[in-house]
Amino acid sequence: MSELKTTSLYEFHLNKNSKMIDFAGWSMPFSYDGTLKEHNYVRQSAGYFDVSHMGRLRLSYSQIEDINYLICSELNELDNTKALYSIFTSDTGTAIDDVIFWKFEDDLILICNASNTSKIKNHLDTNSINYEDLTDETDLIAVQGNKAISIIEEMMVIPNKFSTSKDSKYIYARTGYTGEDGVEVMLDQKDTLKFIQQLEAKGVMPCGLGSRDTLRLEASLPLYGFELTDDITPVEAGLKWTLSNKSDYMGKSVIEEQINSKQHKYLKRFKLNAKQIARTGTVCKAGNINGIVTSGNISPILGYPIGFAMFETNPSDNLVEFDIRGNLIEGNLLDKRFLS
Amino acid sequence: MSETKYLETHEWYIVDGDNFTVGISDFAQGELGDIVFITLPEVGQEFNKGDAIVEVEATKTVAEAYAPMNCVITEVNSNLEAEPELINSDPVGDGWMVKAEIKEMDDSGMTYQEYESFIS
Repeated sequence: MSELKTTSLYEFHLNKNSKMIDFAGWSMPFSYDGTLKEHNYVRQSAGYFDVSHMGRLRLSYSQIEDINYLICSELNELDNTKALYSIFTSDTGTAIDDVIFWKFEDDLILICNASNTSKIKNHLDTNSINYEDLTDETDLIAVQGNKAISIIEEMMVIPNKFSTSKDSKYIYARTGYTGEDGVEVMLDQKDTLKFIQQLEAKGVMPCGLGSRDTLRLEASLPLYGFELTDDITPVEAGLKWTLSNKSDYMGKSVIEEQINSKQHKYLKRFKLNAKQIARTGTVCKAGNINGIVTSGNISPILGYPIGFAMFETNPSDNLVEFDIRGNLIEGNLLDKRFLS
Repeated sequence: MSETKYLETHEWYIVDGDNFTVGISDFAQGELGDIVFITLPEVGQEFNKGDAIVEVEATKTVAEAYAPMNCVITEVNSNLEAEPELINSDPVGDGWMVKAEIKEMDDSGMTYQEYESFIS
């Protein structure tokens, strides 16, 4: 096995006594103060995350129509200075990766999952799209939380929600992956430590990938490799809202056929009225429809276990039974998001 | 009371006459991360050495604590139902899990020094 990659903040994380985990070939901070504490920093105040493991590619504006063909959302007609969540789809409509685009007047920044950076680069190569890989020369810091904007507006001009901005030091967007307001900031590695020291001086707490996962799950956000894979379409993952592409795009016919026929897998949110967590891979059944848990954990805010499960077809029954280590535990499927 | 002993499965136990108290080690709670739910046995339940007696759900993973010897449960730490985080904050003190009557003495656990070299 090859050596794990590290971000420019690796020594910084170790000095903070972070628990490190191996994630997608990177050694990344899992938690500093404990996942629940970090979760609450973000829900109640503000936290920052080193997410420099995520792939960052600069794309040429001149190829935007070609890029638009590879994703299920409308990038071409999107206003400049907007950010876009979208999915690279295969010719069978399944997800190659879910990504964020930051659109500027002269170029685009594509942010992809660390586990998929090579796959996305190969996919772009195959489709003759040029890119400049910025992953190894920049960092990406997410500043997220209930009070994140009021804190960080002393450091940069805050764009509207889902909009981008850049200044002499930072390229950033008002986006995130926690369900809270905030910004994600790409910056030169020589500036990262100072940026973080400024955040900490304002009371923004370091948070690891453990709380990033509980926050995104509680915010009903999918994680590639779990809710979205090479075998799952945006329709199946409950992400029909991303299908804004007005032109033809890769896999469109399969995706439209799924929408019309309703014959496909269905991702559902669930909660358990128990003290067991139904974790990834747990089998479940709603009526006679089989399912499998894609992600599950406690919701720290709600205080009970929640998760996503993928069902073979659309369950008509809201009651669901999970086989947790041989015990059948009852739960409910939810139409609404976990947090209102 | 005898000295606190440790198992390779990361429980600690301490024998006091015909009874023992058991919990999980500081190392174990650190590896598990935040403990959010715990399922304790019933008083009167009988276990053999190596049986799972307590189930611990943490944000990172789920784990079980195993009986260090054949026993009958005499008391459970019901504080853990409402405050499972006691296991994180004081694993070998307020975070104790169950007390049990020894059916067959087996004090073969590691000393703290032995356990420390086992986990390092």
